[in-house]
Amino acid sequence: MKIKYNKEIISGAIFTILGLVLWFLIPSQIPTRETKAINAQTMPRIAIGGMVIFAFCLLMEGLFMRPKQELVISRESFRSAGFKREMKSILYALFLVVFCFIIKPLGFVPSVVLLVIAILLYYGARKWYYYAIPLAMVGVVYYVFRVILHISLP
Amino acid sequence: MKEFLGGLQILAQWQNFLIIPLGLIIGIVVGAIPGLTSDLGIILCIPLTYGMDPTMAILMLLAIYCGGTYGGSITAILINTPGTSANAATLFDGYPMTQNGKAFKALQMALFASTIGGLISAFALMFLAPLIAKVTLLFGPAEYFALAVFGLSVIAGVSNNSIFKGLIGACIGLFMATVGIDSISGTTRFIFGQKKLMAGIDLIIALIGLFAISEILMKSQYNPKTDHKTIKASEITKDKITREEYRRCRKPIGIGSLIGVIIGATPGTGGGLAAFIAYNQVKQSSKHPETFGKGEIEGVAVSESANNGACGATMIPMLTLGVPGDGATAILMGAFMLHGMIPGPTLFAEQGNILYAIMIGLVVVNIFMYLVGNVFTRFYANITRIPYEILAPIVLTFCIAGSYSTNNRLYDIYIILIFGIVSYFLRRMDFQLVPILLGIVLGPLAEKNFRRAMVISQGSPSIFFTRPIACAFLVIAFGSLVVFGLRGMKAKKASAALKPDAK
Repeated sequence: MKIKYNKEIISGAIFTILGLVLWFLIPSQIPTRETKAINAQTMPRIAIGGMVIFAFCLLMEGLFMRPKQELVISRESFRSAGFKREMKSILYALFLVVFCFIIKPLGFVPSVVLLVIAILLYYGARKWYYYAIPLAMVGVVYYVFRVILHISLP
Repeated sequence: MKEFLGGLQILAQWQNFLIIPLGLIIGIVVGAIPGLTSDLGIILCIPLTYGMDPTMAILMLLAIYCGGTYGGSITAILINTPGTSANAATLFDGYPMTQNGKAFKALQMALFASTIGGLISAFALMFLAPLIAKVTLLFGPAEYFALAVFGLSVIAGVSNNSIFKGLIGACIGLFMATVGIDSISGTTRFIFGQKKLMAGIDLIIALIGLFAISEILMKSQYNPKTDHKTIKASEITKDKITREEYRRCRKPIGIGSLIGVIIGATPGTGGGLAAFIAYNQVKQSSKHPETFGKGEIEGVAVSESANNGACGATMIPMLTLGVPGDGATAILMGAFMLHGMIPGPTLFAEQGNILYAIMIGLVVVNIFMYLVGNVFTRFYANITRIPYEILAPIVLTFCIAGSYSTNNRLYDIYIILIFGIVSYFLRRMDFQLVPILLGIVLGPLAEKNFRRAMVISQGSPSIFFTRPIACAFLVIAFGSLVVFGLRGMKAKKASAALKPDAK
């Protein structure tokens, strides 16, 4: 399957749809009782309306004025270096998502230690001090916030 | 004069003279590490300033800003990679000087020129800002709204040749600024049933997510084997700048500083643009233009004086009008707000002493920058050797602790990670993040004054066109959008025309 695209088409389409969804959510999300023409809904309408208009302009620019890339979706494309690079970024983002789930039950120090180790493994760090320095920094940060700034981390 | 002396008295506290070198060292180190910027340094250190008094906190952040702008020249000179975008012009002659065995000389000149540029900029801020502030005291809601629109028009200059992406970014920022309880009617807006969103999204949380987390994600494809460039300390020789070279560089430093101040004071520009314009100007007027780009010390002098010359000047529109000149000043503006100072026309009237302390402090920051820079010059080669894989988890740890400390709740950590992932997607789609930040910072100002002005005019928008200052700001805002938009289209056409030739 062949797809012709550029960044303007993707972002233009996403923000047009997102803007429209938000526009229709305004009455339920901003239940104002004001009777004036200018009320709590005015600024969100300007912002969201602007988003829809400019995103649509961007979409048109992408469709008619910008050169497009061709993406061929096949089994080979899943083995390409570009696809692997993108997967690496998704894996990195996944670390952060998993971290969100573990910080509450584990607390700051154990969850951040796990995150730090995951990142170092991700970059393929082999030397011991590559692990020692960031892990020591976790302790320093905990100490600075807890003892000096009197902020109790979770 | 009374406020000046009051400011001097506030500044004279010993803690300030400890925090300035500390901020400078952080700034220089952060600026000198490719991948970390002074913006990131400021964001990461904001949570550390919560317990400080406002003067001390802002001075520390200003020191990071100035130190970071200078620090970016170190990697530009040593490893051909600018630490920040403001130092891109330093590459032209800085790295060739290193190749010619004159790295120490280039570093010394960068420091000297940065200091002079920074000092001239600090004095410009000290003398011009109070004068502008006097005029701005006459402003009413209509003028404030026009000012906010003018501030938002800065996006035209920072949208990377895509005005639509910049405008969408500003709309995203304006939308995010509306989340929470409306301060005028008390209505909740876009909280989706989450009570924790009723107070809105904290600026520092947005900053950490937008800039720091997205930066870390952008570097997720970093390859330690191929992307890490270093230089050995032994490669930095000891030959000092001669008197003749200082004499030759006087004019370029003067031109660079002046252009830096003028460009820096223009919202939407910043030190990077100032450095390029100044470099071009000096090269064209030089008696030996052929030496530029091949290790000419004047090239380093002009670009560094220009980018640091913009540092203080970018704060002129921020402090007097509440309009941030670039990304770093938008972040600094957020820091001012966190410490209870709302930049804009009333700031000089309400907190004049503190402002003078900060402005005089900027002069002290630049003097300290020269001293700290001189002491650590030989250490710089070691900074470039810090592997990014060590830095990434450390930065992330600071981000998590910093965001939690803002309100002592886990919810903010989730928000920074969501913001970070969304911002990463936006950056991959070639969006700039500064328009979003401008929307968040200027959105509440625009909305509050728009609604007040409409109440005064009984619902008639003519108030924005019948009051001359408001009308002038709106015309300038519209004009800059059109000019930058057309320039962006031209640049796009030019690059499209170049591509077939390249093939």
